[in-house]
Amino acid sequence: MYRKIIKRSLYNMRDSYLIYILACAFAIGIFGILISLGDNPSVRVSLRSWNSFISDITIMMSGLFAFCAFIYMAYVGGFFIKQQRNEFRTFEKLGMQRWVIVAISFIQTTIVQAFAWIIGLSTTLIFQKFMGMALFYLMRLRFNFIMHISWNDVFLLAKMFFFSTLVLSIINAIKTFRILQRKTIKREIKTRWWLRIPAGIFGLLLLFSAQICTVSLFYDMHTVSYSSKPITEIFFVMLADIFGTYLVYFGFLPTILNTLQRIHSVSYSGINMFSFKYLKERLFQNISILWFVTELSALALMLLTFCYFGYQAVHRNYNSAYPFELAADKNTAGVIKQELKKSKAHIKGEYQTNVKINLVSYYKKDNQDYIRQPMTFMSYSDYMSLPKRMRKWNGKINSREFLKIDYNGSIFENRHFKEHDIRVKDSPVIATVKTGSSFPYGSSMHFGPMMVVPDKYYQKMPAEVEDTFYGWDFKRGDRLSTKQLEKLDNFRDAYYMKVNFKKTLDQSNIEVLKKAPDRGGSIYTQAGFLRQGSIKKNFTQGGGFYLFIVSLFSVALLIALGSVLTLRILLRDDYQSRQLRTLQKIGVEESEVKRIVRRENTLTFLIPLIFALAQSIVAIAMSNTGRHISKNIILIYAGYVVLYGIFGLVSYKVSWHGIKHKFSL
Amino acid sequence: MQIIVKNISKDFGKKRNAVHAIKDISLKVEHGEFLGIMGPSGAGKTTLLNMISTNERPDHGQIIVDGQDLTQLHDRDQTKYRRNKMGFIYQSFELLDSLNVKENVILPLALNRSNKKLIEERFNYMMNLLNIEKLSKRNIDELSLGQRQIVAAARALINSPEILFADEPTGSLDSKSATILLNYMQLVNQREKTTILMATHDAFTASYCSRVIFVKDGVVFSEVVNPGNRDKFFEQIINMQRTIGGGSYFNVSQNN
Repeated sequence: MYRKIIKRSLYNMRDSYLIYILACAFAIGIFGILISLGDNPSVRVSLRSWNSFISDITIMMSGLFAFCAFIYMAYVGGFFIKQQRNEFRTFEKLGMQRWVIVAISFIQTTIVQAFAWIIGLSTTLIFQKFMGMALFYLMRLRFNFIMHISWNDVFLLAKMFFFSTLVLSIINAIKTFRILQRKTIKREIKTRWWLRIPAGIFGLLLLFSAQICTVSLFYDMHTVSYSSKPITEIFFVMLADIFGTYLVYFGFLPTILNTLQRIHSVSYSGINMFSFKYLKERLFQNISILWFVTELSALALMLLTFCYFGYQAVHRNYNSAYPFELAADKNTAGVIKQELKKSKAHIKGEYQTNVKINLVSYYKKDNQDYIRQPMTFMSYSDYMSLPKRMRKWNGKINSREFLKIDYNGSIFENRHFKEHDIRVKDSPVIATVKTGSSFPYGSSMHFGPMMVVPDKYYQKMPAEVEDTFYGWDFKRGDRLSTKQLEKLDNFRDAYYMKVNFKKTLDQSNIEVLKKAPDRGGSIYTQAGFLRQGSIKKNFTQGGGFYLFIVSLFSVALLIALGSVLTLRILLRDDYQSRQLRTLQKIGVEESEVKRIVRRENTLTFLIPLIFALAQSIVAIAMSNTGRHISKNIILIYAGYVVLYGIFGLVSYKVSWHGIKHKFSL
Repeated sequence: MQIIVKNISKDFGKKRNAVHAIKDISLKVEHGEFLGIMGPSGAGKTTLLNMISTNERPDHGQIIVDGQDLTQLHDRDQTKYRRNKMGFIYQSFELLDSLNVKENVILPLALNRSNKKLIEERFNYMMNLLNIEKLSKRNIDELSLGQRQIVAAARALINSPEILFADEPTGSLDSKSATILLNYMQLVNQREKTTILMATHDAFTASYCSRVIFVKDGVVFSEVVNPGNRDKFFEQIINMQRTIGGGSYFNVSQNN
């Protein structure tokens, strides 16, 4: 008989259990993949340079992942026990002993967990290769990922299965015991409109002010280095969003439904009278969960936003510092070319550009200081003949405009403002320049800022020093041996410039020295060459790994949250399902009952979705990308909308299928 | 004739497990008639009622109401027909817990998108007719079982249905509450000329009808017409019940 009871319970909630099992299986599958990635032989061979770093990180991340998944399983698993409370109480009334009922709930949990683990581990086996290939693709590794699970991992997974199932079953058994101890079902919800109405209005005001503050943050974020305003704004937005959302769920939305219900011209029409009350009741039941899901979804989106912008910024910053795998000036270029011939490097692209170095003076707004320094000049035509990636992040100029490329303090900063009145020695004053931060041959090849000028200006400008920059791109690296690099080390500094500043710019001059002077005025060093191939490779690999882990976490979080909402919709109280059945019995059309289910789904999915999106915009403002929202971030957000859309649709379909099934009984 | 049921049958389950709930039943109900459907548990009373009220479709046969074959209607049209022309009272009341008494009662009119004035008028009339004005603002869980069934009756009658279906309406009530409800039903039947079809296994309840048909194992076993004296009618019903229950001393044919 007990077997029949368990079988019947599992069958009755099969749709909900299926969603729970799939969500758990996904988490278990990802956990298994993360665990097995750490000691996969192909990862170890292809990522020798990372030593044990990858393994340590995967172990750490899978631990964190397992912890979050366990919390999810324990929390959501409790929904099913709650759903069965009437059944358990009836068993007790019929004379079944408490320990038997508790044992039934224990066994039920064990069975569900076993199913989840079987599917999860199968997912690990099936998708390990696919995920490994995805990881290698993101890390730009041309290795074959070999499917492999070590015995250590198998034992670890088996141990995890045993202990997690045991603990989860005990948790559910305790929950069942507590349900049996409490005799009455409290269904009454205190409406407390005197509290809900002001709280709801206050919540709405908080959300509005948070949005206004977010807009202001877009304008103020660049002042973060010297002003406390952006930090205050961020702090306010975070608090206002968190509390505002709760208060809107607690007060505003129920008040709206209550008001609609009281307007007889609206509520006395069709099914509205029932649906407003039904939705209000469902909302009261789910306030905390909706709030929790909204905030965690916003967190996941913010995490993705920060990751995206962080990766972009670091990547851009790195590429603007080292755009070529190998760069040199004219003094070193000859030696480098000889060594490259010896190493038989496969050169993919070779570039060279003439530059002039002259003295300039100008007022720098950021530092609020008057600056005199040498500056490298490049002609517009030469600048435009370089690969597009060199100027991608700089302001766009035409052949008559000036562009000043300078170091950027903030890696997130990408704003192109203008500077004025730059005096150049023995040349006309440059009235207006656009700005950028991406140096064509890499910032490390320069001792200061650089200026792209119109061709005519460049030709007429006298130079204190003239030089030529060289840059190479290779297919599979420059292949320089350690011995060759040791030799090249002597050419690290090409020359030194001693600047003798006088009263006026025209009287000042630059003295070129081959050896570093012991002492003197302002000394600038011109780098002889820059080699960043291997670091660039590590950078790409690290970035790919980081993207893989973060996206996996965020997607898993969003899936878990989506499934929580789905289960809240599916696991109605018995009397709520009965009411829908009653409606049908008294002549409500199927399409109208369907509309109630649709409204319920919309309320449950759309509102958290909108709130989470609105809240996560602050992350874009914090990343300070110059009031410009990139296409990719829109894609990330669209992905979230699609994911929740799918969840909403599935919930609606399954929910309606469940109701229809009950109707046909 | 308002309702003509022609050779309807209904099976539940498939193949070996199939149960023949209704086997080739035919019957006619006149306009304004109070028809009782009696029989032991599992005889097919509720199934018959559900099919006539379009809540279930028969496997075979026709159900003609006011000259229209309801079995030929699309589900959506059946629902509309049910909503406009029929009222229902169930043993389990089928009231919506989340709505209060007034909202439960006016729900059929709201579903028909009737105007507010008509809704208020009909509500006041029904409350007055069934003498439950004081209950209008109460929640459902604040009512006694008898009060709940009266409220369910008010809901069933508010849009002046032509046919009222009652499935074991007194099943959950004590005798006092049952008597009150049955008196109201009789009142509505006589005053509003509403045709009532009531399934019951209780002889006392059935004695309020003008005619009672007896169903056993999915077929109409017999019928008894009210001679005008309720006590005598009650006795006839009891005797018929004994026969259906297995007694052989009562001559059924004599009664017809």
